Amino acid sequence: MDRPKIPIDAILKHLTEDAEKVQERAQKASSVLLGELDTSIATTPYDVVYEEDRVKLKHYRSSTPVEDGVNTPLLVVYALINRETMLDLQPGRSVVDSFLKSGVDLYMVDWGYPTRRERFLTIDDHVNGYMDNIVDFVLKRTNRRNLNLMGICMGGSFSVMYSALHPEKVKNLITTVCPTNFNTEQGLLHVWMKNINPDRMIDAFGNMPGDLMNFGFLLLNPARLMIDKYVGFVENIDKKDFVENFIRMEKWIFDSPDVPGETFRQFVIDCYQKNLLIESRMELGGKLVDLKKVTMPLLNIYGQYDHLVPPEAANLLTSRVGSNDTEDVCLDTGHIGIYVSSKTQKEFVPKIVKWLKARDGNGDGDGPSEGEKNIANKKGSGIKSTPKKRKKVKNGDTI
Amino acid sequence: MNQDAKETADYGPLLDAWMKSLGDFWGAISKMSPADTYGMPEEEHAKKEDVHQSSAAQTMRLWSTYLSLLKEPPVMQAMLQGSAVIPALMMRLAQSGWEGYFDMQRQWTQKMAQTGQRTEAYQFENLDENMFRTMREMYEKEVSPFLKVPQLGLTRFYQERANHAVDKFHKFQAAVTEFCRVLYLPMEKTTKVMQQNIEEMTKAGNLPENPQEYYRMWIKVLEGHYMTLFKSPEYAEALRTTLDKLEDFLIERQKVLEDMLQTLPVPTHREMDGLYREIHTLKKEVKGLKKKRT
Repeated sequence: MDRPKIPIDAILKHLTEDAEKVQERAQKASSVLLGELDTSIATTPYDVVYEEDRVKLKHYRSSTPVEDGVNTPLLVVYALINRETMLDLQPGRSVVDSFLKSGVDLYMVDWGYPTRRERFLTIDDHVNGYMDNIVDFVLKRTNRRNLNLMGICMGGSFSVMYSALHPEKVKNLITTVCPTNFNTEQGLLHVWMKNINPDRMIDAFGNMPGDLMNFGFLLLNPARLMIDKYVGFVENIDKKDFVENFIRMEKWIFDSPDVPGETFRQFVIDCYQKNLLIESRMELGGKLVDLKKVTMPLLNIYGQYDHLVPPEAANLLTSRVGSNDTEDVCLDTGHIGIYVSSKTQKEFVPKIVKWLKARDGNGDGDGPSEGEKNIANKKGSGIKSTPKKRKKVKNGDTI
Repeated sequence: MNQDAKETADYGPLLDAWMKSLGDFWGAISKMSPADTYGMPEEEHAKKEDVHQSSAAQTMRLWSTYLSLLKEPPVMQAMLQGSAVIPALMMRLAQSGWEGYFDMQRQWTQKMAQTGQRTEAYQFENLDENMFRTMREMYEKEVSPFLKVPQLGLTRFYQERANHAVDKFHKFQAAVTEFCRVLYLPMEKTTKVMQQNIEEMTKAGNLPENPQEYYRMWIKVLEGHYMTLFKSPEYAEALRTTLDKLEDFLIERQKVLEDMLQTLPVPTHREMDGLYREIHTLKKEVKGLKKKRT
């Protein structure tokens, strides 16, 4: 009779080795954790140039002048969930820093921390209120008629709404991991959001608590986010760089402002449950958000493995807007990886800068640039294409 | 003759003796002079003494009439029935409590004995919810009704709100417990899969030598189970119920807090929300007007 082969001796040997490694690691970890750690985030210098209620506008200072930069200023609108500090998480992996080094005049909205007094703020207040005031401020400050607008996640949805309602103020629109089509079962968030009752939630909580949302995000993949992540931390606890970067990410993840109640209620009902945005049926302040009015060039970037905004939730936008100059870019990464992974850092900002430069115009926003003229000539040349496995490019450009 | 009449007859002598001793005691007390009681001169209380004694005699007569009425078989029967309700209620509570406890214990024992056998990998339909259902039903039937008893008097609304908050809290606790149990299921199912995998690898003679391989295998299977669970209608239902119950509790708790804050110079959420809404409307109007001007 064959006896099952169980390599007890080998397993025990590994365990003994592991135990020795753990002891050694613990000694090093002690010096790492008790020593000085640089875990600061959002360290790129900036000036707060505009403030309204809790909302601030950051203008980043460029350390070195760039000759061949982008003339039109870029306004970045982050989501109301988590903080914009994710774009400036650590030296060497900072989207902000990469933009500055590429010669982009960068402005970014800091939505701040809503308190209960902000619970009645609607999407209209954010889009036609704060965003419009900020855009007007930047245009006045830079003496321009329009600017480049980049929206991230929920901020992307806001940017799409803004561009549809104020197309004359947006020269180019960039949406990144931006949910616009909510009629999908691809992401768990879309499934769960259809099952919740936002009215009762907001009646009970006032504002939507950031911690509760974070708990929900952790539940999207508890095995990885609540167990494996920390196992990985313990395995690398003796490496100073790893610990510093891990803490930076922890700081960002759990820095979760509450979402104003009425905004949350409207976003869940109008977008997640009724899918009004992509169908051009959403209304803000009594005005219809018609995507056909999004006529400026549009660059739509999303992640192939995004579990919060899956490709299906993001890639329908370009086919619904009125613009003839649109491009979808699907990166081989997830929701956060687009901004923080070292691999996509090399692709993400260079792609945006290249795309903007091709559409930068003469600098005052009065007329079309050479790039715009070229693109106008390409109209109807079939630049829209279907997503490919790794990268989706509609104008034959590759990244 | 029925059973009730027999019970009434049995209690008769006992009641007679009790009534007599009460009558003797209060009769003696009523005949005592107030001066004896309070140490005051007898002549000063001569008139009042008559008043006291006649009042006491009247009370005694009333008392005797009441006690003799109690002796009547129908009254005695009704009284005995009433007094029997409390032990019956206690028995019922205890009985259902013990039944629930034994059922729970039986299920736990069964569950422990069947760990790794009963669970099906990557299947989350028709979850065994008996234990939680038993607990929930027990609470709904035996405890919750007491918290919903209509309250009386000046403080009825306050008491009612407090009772509702306690009720909602218990229901929220039950929902959370059930939700945690649903979240634990993938762990159980992963253990089962790991047992099978190790058994197969043992037979095939290709067991990994590195213990970390087991962890990687475990976390991968666990992730798969969670993904399957999260897409199941059972999970969506458990999540929805938990959130609903949490919201119910928070709303009721808020009402109680507002009652408590009434006595303190602290504004309540309701008051502040009213103010915030007005400020929001005003600010919006002012900003709109400002924009129009510029």
